[in-house]
Amino acid sequence: MFLTVLFFLSATLTIASGIMVVVVRNLMHSCMALLGCFIGVAGLYVTLGANFIAAVQFMVYVGGVIILMLFAIMLTGNKPEEKVGSFLLPAMGNRRTLTWGLITALVFFLSVGKILLGMFGIGLGKKTAPTDPSLFESTVDEIGTLLLTDHVLAFEMSSVLLLGALIGAAIIARPETSKEK
Amino acid sequence: MNGGLIPYLSGFDWFNQTIKSTSAFLSFDTTSLLSFLIYAVFASLLVFLVLMPIGGLGTYAERKISADLQARIGPNRVGPYGILQFLADGIKMVLKEDIVPVGADRFVFYLAPLLAMVGVFMTVAVLPLSSGLTMVHLDIGVFYLLAVSSLVGIAVFLGGYAPNSKWSLLGGMRGASQIISYEIPVVISVLAIVLLSGGMSFDVLVGSQGGLPHRWFLFHNPFTFLAFFVYFVGALAEANRAPFDLPEAESELVSGYHTEYTGMRFAFFALAEYVEVFVLCAVAAALFLGGYNVPGELLKDHPLGQLLQLGAFFTKTLILYYVVIWVRWTLPRIRVDQLMTICWKYLTPIALFNLVGCALWMYCFDGKSIVSLLFESGVGAASGGH
Amino acid sequence: MGLAPYLIISMILFILGIVVMMARKNIIAILLGIELILNASALNFVAYSRFLTNNIDGHIFSLFIIVVAAAEAAVGLAIVIRFFQVRKSIHIDEAVWLNDEV
Repeated sequence: MFLTVLFFLSATLTIASGIMVVVVRNLMHSCMALLGCFIGVAGLYVTLGANFIAAVQFMVYVGGVIILMLFAIMLTGNKPEEKVGSFLLPAMGNRRTLTWGLITALVFFLSVGKILLGMFGIGLGKKTAPTDPSLFESTVDEIGTLLLTDHVLAFEMSSVLLLGALIGAAIIARPETSKEK
Repeated sequence: MNGGLIPYLSGFDWFNQTIKSTSAFLSFDTTSLLSFLIYAVFASLLVFLVLMPIGGLGTYAERKISADLQARIGPNRVGPYGILQFLADGIKMVLKEDIVPVGADRFVFYLAPLLAMVGVFMTVAVLPLSSGLTMVHLDIGVFYLLAVSSLVGIAVFLGGYAPNSKWSLLGGMRGASQIISYEIPVVISVLAIVLLSGGMSFDVLVGSQGGLPHRWFLFHNPFTFLAFFVYFVGALAEANRAPFDLPEAESELVSGYHTEYTGMRFAFFALAEYVEVFVLCAVAAALFLGGYNVPGELLKDHPLGQLLQLGAFFTKTLILYYVVIWVRWTLPRIRVDQLMTICWKYLTPIALFNLVGCALWMYCFDGKSIVSLLFESGVGAASGGH
Repeated sequence: MGLAPYLIISMILFILGIVVMMARKNIIAILLGIELILNASALNFVAYSRFLTNNIDGHIFSLFIIVVAAAEAAVGLAIVIRFFQVRKSIHIDEAVWLNDEV
């Protein structure tokens, strides 16, 4: 019961704020809608029994990525000669790009829908019972074991990737120092 | 729904009777629905009756203790020793006009205080008040707590951005950068404790300690002793408390990110801050100071034992709370560059060193604490001497 | 809840992300769209792991997706900030020249 309620709330939050991201023309509000979308997806993870992934989603997206985005929005305002304020954020696209976006969406919808219909046709969509419910009681131990046994190479590589991203981001975003004399 | 409340209630006749009659009325099995509703009501009551007063009494304690430290009297008009001052403050907050500044981003302006409240009160769900009174026994307890409390950073940032005021903006930017920076040493020092106890659930974390100080993780080994101080300094900074209260530095920024907020919206921010300090102190008590463990495990299976555990937990937490207030009225505020230096050049390397040290300690001494090592070697030497 | 609702939600998120990427002229907004798409794919992995397999490898996949998304957001936003320092704008149409002498 609880999971059903949580599923419907999270699904509504996810889709509604996903649509808000598309529709809203203020970049700051768009970012807020994205925050709602992330929280909704975290709720969906919880309904899937993936508590750990939900917490990681919260930690990384809500605590990290959204704040980074907000910082980037604040650091890149309009052109200096134009007015700066909460109502005058940079251009968000015009009718032509929106039309192209909708056409792409239609194409994607048709192709993905065909794949999904094929899947549901062979009864995959109705599959409800988890294969082994006890596996999803507490996933933390299992994830830790898998990360350091089967997936240890990817784990180490991702640490190198993060280090590279850290250094790269710090160097790229560093303000231009005065040129060498 | 593993609160232990529903199994307890299902022992009563009236509960089963209610389930039967509502099931007949609504024509489906309402057991899970009813338990969900009862649980939700219980949780909300706990939040409103216990934690709102803690937030309110926090303001009272802060004023009274600061008055003591400065040889003043402090609030003494409302109630005995002015203890009802927080109710008077609350009523005043409700009655104040709700002002939205011209040029504010209204949607975000309304959203920010709510996010702060939600982020802090969500953490309360996993707090181990006693072995029976933990609302959710979550398997990722402490990680959930740290993850959810990151909503406060966004709230601070948005509270700075929304009112379109320069003071707020500076405070909000400072606050967000401070919170996400200090999250790193805090998380790493918590990770050292998780490594020692072998689980992220608060049941495991508290359960692997004991009632007396020599079985606390604080005195487990030298690295955890350091980790406690790293955690505590980081927690002070995360809750924007002095000496790290740069986001709301009165002398430079009026009042930082909540400058433009009035009435209840301001009260939400203030309440969130005080409850967050309480939560961080509670986590420190649970992770390092033995949590709700009572010395000698007195009355462990008796209902009164729960009261003793609550007493132990609240004593430790409130002592830490007192230290937080004491630090605030003793130390001067540091500069922004010093803030970042402390975080990135001192606390983070120390926390990493602690993590590696704890791992080595686990490997070399098989997870025994320093006290048990000394004691056992002493016994071994004494018996070997004969 | 079966597998179907999750797949449909994930599809909707993915398509919304594509629309955001196509329709917006602001680089940060395009990054928002990319985050939506990555979330949709991570959700799919967890859903499949729950309903179709007997292990939780899908969780590991979605963990790595989150890691890569965080790295991508950090570097992407750093590039955006750098770009803004050079061009004084984050309009995507400004990003068509390779050198900064317009």
